[in-house]
Amino acid sequence: MNRVISTLLLQRLVQAGLVAWVVGTLTFILTRALPGDMAFRIAAGRYGYEQVNAEAAAAVQAELGLDQSPLIAYFHWLSDLLSLDLGHSLVSGESVVSELAHQLGHSLDLALMAMLLALVIGVPVGILSGLRPNGWVDRLALVSAVALRSLPPFVIGLLLIMLFAVQLGWLPAAGHGGGSHLWLPAMALALGLAAVSARVTRHGMARVAGSPYYAFSRTRGLSEGQTLARHGLRNVAVPVIAYLSVQLVYLVEGVVVIESLFAWPGIGHALVHAVVARDVPMIQGTALVMGLLFVTLNTLVDLVSLYIDPRRRLS
Amino acid sequence: MMASRSPGLAPSVARFRWASSHTRRRLSHAQRWGISLLAALLVFAWVVPLFLDADPTRQDLMSTLAAPSLQHPLGTDHLGRSMLARVAAAIRLSLGLALLSVVTAALPGLLAGVTAGWRGGWCDRLLSTVADCVLALPGLLLVLMLAAIAPGNFWTLYIGIALVLWVEYFRVVRSATRILAQSPQVESSRLLGFGRWYIFRRHLWPELAPQVTTLAAFGAATSILAVSSLGFVSIGLKPPTAELGLMMTELFPYYQEAPWVLAQPVLALFFMVLSFHLLAGKEPQ
Amino acid sequence: MKAIMEVHDLSVTTSEGATLVWPISFTLEAGVPLTLLGETGSGKSLLAQALMGNLPPALNASGRVIIDGENLLEMPPQQRRRWWGRRMTMLPQEPWHALDPTMRVGAQINEGHRLVAGLEPAAARHAMYDDLEGLGLADSEFKLPAQLSGGMAQRAAFAAARAGNAPIVIADEPTKGLDSARRDDVVRLLAQALGSNGGLLTITHDIAVAEQLGGTVMIMRRGECLESGSAETLLKAPQSAYGQQLMAANPQHWLARHQHFNPADDTVLQARSVSLSRGGKSLFDNLTLNLYRGEVLGINGASGSGKSSLGDLLLGLVKPDAGKVERAPGIASTRFLKLYQDPPAAFSPFWSLGTLLHDLCRLHKLSWDSVPPLMERLGLAPDLLERRSDSISGGELQRFSILRALLLEPVFLFADEPTSRLDPITQQQTLELLVELARERHCALLLVSHDKALIDHACDRQLSLEAPIRG
Repeated sequence: MNRVISTLLLQRLVQAGLVAWVVGTLTFILTRALPGDMAFRIAAGRYGYEQVNAEAAAAVQAELGLDQSPLIAYFHWLSDLLSLDLGHSLVSGESVVSELAHQLGHSLDLALMAMLLALVIGVPVGILSGLRPNGWVDRLALVSAVALRSLPPFVIGLLLIMLFAVQLGWLPAAGHGGGSHLWLPAMALALGLAAVSARVTRHGMARVAGSPYYAFSRTRGLSEGQTLARHGLRNVAVPVIAYLSVQLVYLVEGVVVIESLFAWPGIGHALVHAVVARDVPMIQGTALVMGLLFVTLNTLVDLVSLYIDPRRRLS
Repeated sequence: MMASRSPGLAPSVARFRWASSHTRRRLSHAQRWGISLLAALLVFAWVVPLFLDADPTRQDLMSTLAAPSLQHPLGTDHLGRSMLARVAAAIRLSLGLALLSVVTAALPGLLAGVTAGWRGGWCDRLLSTVADCVLALPGLLLVLMLAAIAPGNFWTLYIGIALVLWVEYFRVVRSATRILAQSPQVESSRLLGFGRWYIFRRHLWPELAPQVTTLAAFGAATSILAVSSLGFVSIGLKPPTAELGLMMTELFPYYQEAPWVLAQPVLALFFMVLSFHLLAGKEPQ
Repeated sequence: MKAIMEVHDLSVTTSEGATLVWPISFTLEAGVPLTLLGETGSGKSLLAQALMGNLPPALNASGRVIIDGENLLEMPPQQRRRWWGRRMTMLPQEPWHALDPTMRVGAQINEGHRLVAGLEPAAARHAMYDDLEGLGLADSEFKLPAQLSGGMAQRAAFAAARAGNAPIVIADEPTKGLDSARRDDVVRLLAQALGSNGGLLTITHDIAVAEQLGGTVMIMRRGECLESGSAETLLKAPQSAYGQQLMAANPQHWLARHQHFNPADDTVLQARSVSLSRGGKSLFDNLTLNLYRGEVLGINGASGSGKSSLGDLLLGLVKPDAGKVERAPGIASTRFLKLYQDPPAAFSPFWSLGTLLHDLCRLHKLSWDSVPPLMERLGLAPDLLERRSDSISGGELQRFSILRALLLEPVFLFADEPTSRLDPITQQQTLELLVELARERHCALLLVSHDKALIDHACDRQLSLEAPIRG
């Protein structure tokens, strides 16, 4: 048991290392790909065109390590990254770590809420469809799932804004304030996730309901409800949880786009801003945290599935 | 205790067991819908503009957000550009990029997958590590960072998307090959003296082909969604390129004045992705 | 004698009107086991489901099934549902799959005592411990089904099914996939459970099960009952032609082999002090073995004893931990071949058998002329060539595998449980043909089987491997 957990954590740790390396390397290439006057323009962005001078541009150059030879700069870049020295934003001049600390909470709120909503909507629909395959619930769920999966989260977001914010005026369209601001962006992410979860649950439920152990539970005298509760749900949960790790890709990608759409002050929003402004330290910091968020959520999913499926605990 | 006998023979129940599951592959209902939808989109994007004098970038500030007319069958946008020309151009762009990246991803992915699954050993470990590097980050993040290196460039988008897509082929093909390489059917063909090419042709390919096609369809959808997502957050292609995500960002402010204009890129994107999902013919399980 | 279940003209039809089980009548008497004997696909399992009332929705049962004066088939489904586990229970075919894969074995037995029999939690736990103790599963309370051997899983399933104390037990192929020792254990359990007041209906294709249970036997074929009678008389002297065939197909009753093999012939293969271990357990150690052309060597042993691994090792598919295997020099490597346990697994399902056979002829520059006579000899109709491996029967496909091997004029053929997935009559025919053809063509045949009687009757020499663990 402990061995299984430690192997799993080790694998995720390796993945986290890979994330850091890939992000570090790509952002390093980015610093080298900046055109010559970029340092000057970035300095201008930070201090304003009037105040910019050679000294300010040199400070930006040093920040990016542009004054060093490529190989040495690369090692410096990676060792800074490993010591979690992420530098300062070229735009605001603030330390990247402190900016990220503000944003991470908002992104977590959004991601966890979206996952929760997706499961609350998707799983019951899937179970109902799976218990009566090809019934009307199943058909309706199939059509909605196909439609929802054909829309990217930002289009779902647009449609939700039009409906709930503009037409009905029930919920605020964008920004961040009370709890009501969370609903629309979380829902925009959750609907796509729920569509897939519902189908995975449906297939799992149908498979479990048709399995010999389900039939055996019934013929040996357990009632329908007891059979579903004791032998159905846990076995259905196994594929649903396993598939969640596939869906995390959708979730994290969605967070980037949805935060931008709803002006949600999270890491995804900051990442997009940083890319537009070519604020390299911020790109590195946000992409790194986004990637680590992905790894952490994956680890969580692993642990939940380990908890639910005792077979995985056998070494 | 008694037993009754009855006339005639019952149809053998055993027959049902042998009912063939591998009879000729036919396209499912959904797949046929997918093909028709895709064909309609292709005609709309490539053939229709031939009959109309329509330039997706020509502005006409005198007739902005115009309703559909003979001259502009789908109306005009906020700069008076023909929506028909723009939507058609955007579909050409999305489909072109999708097909290009799917094909470039499929070939190396298939090759690497078969090699890794068949040979195993260090070759498998090496290729799997490369795949793990790509998979460590969600694909869109990788494409986004590549796009940041050369903003607004079609080719960086293409390379980024193809780089993300090949891994899917690799993983699926590798695991299918691994299982098959150790199966009795391949073992028996080897004992009978058949070579590798024969085993690929008769055993592996028929098994892999449907999976590869499914992946290709999903890959095309992924690529279309990625391009439009990046366009939507303004880090993909740059104006005045007609790109669906970008068009939605540009047109959203005019949604209450001219909802039909905003609806066009939304529907085009929806139908494109839908056609590929239908074509894939599989559901997540 | 007390009748506890009377069945009158029970039949099963599809919703399109095809009859799958022809009207059948019998009486289940207290204390007397009733065994339905027949090949796979003869509708036996459907009959069991019809009696329980859990047929798939597309199938209908008609007739009368009377228990305590009530007709089961006319009972409202909910009422009948309440009888499950309490008045009648069903032992599943494949216990490994019938136990919840994600629940501990103890809990699965415990829930029967608590929820079906209605015991208090403490009493239910006691009953569970008693069950585990009595079935030799004392250390398995916290195991998952995947950690049990086939025999252990069947015993655990038995305890779970019986927890509600139902007097009537329907056992559907309870010994499927078990080797003979485990099979005998299960039969003993069934006989114990019957007691003097219970009813036991066993459905099986295994004649040994019917013999050991005794009581009454019915022979079924294609959904139709051919004859019935007491086990002693019926199994010794069946009246129906099919019954006679079936009894003759039992390896125990095969004619003893007369011609004896003379090992002065040439050696094909030699294993010199080979050893192999799997998962830290030694399967065999320092084994030396010679195989001669034209001889039939049998390897017998329980599952997990390494008999298939030994075959693979001799064929060169598995490397020994120590020692070596030498082939006679100057023989093409494609003349050392293998027949598989599961025939469909040995063919690509995407091509017609004819295509695959043409491929083989082209590769080895063989003339097609030798194919038709061999097909005839093996009882394969020419039109089978147009079909694919998944649309012909297992027996036909195994004979096709034999054909495919024989075309290359093998000198060594390793047959790994070649008939264990076939019904008894097909098994006998296939095996006889195989032995005959191998001998005729001077090919060494290595026959691996878990069935001791089969090895005894088909082979010139035999080797027995001990199972490393007994479960």
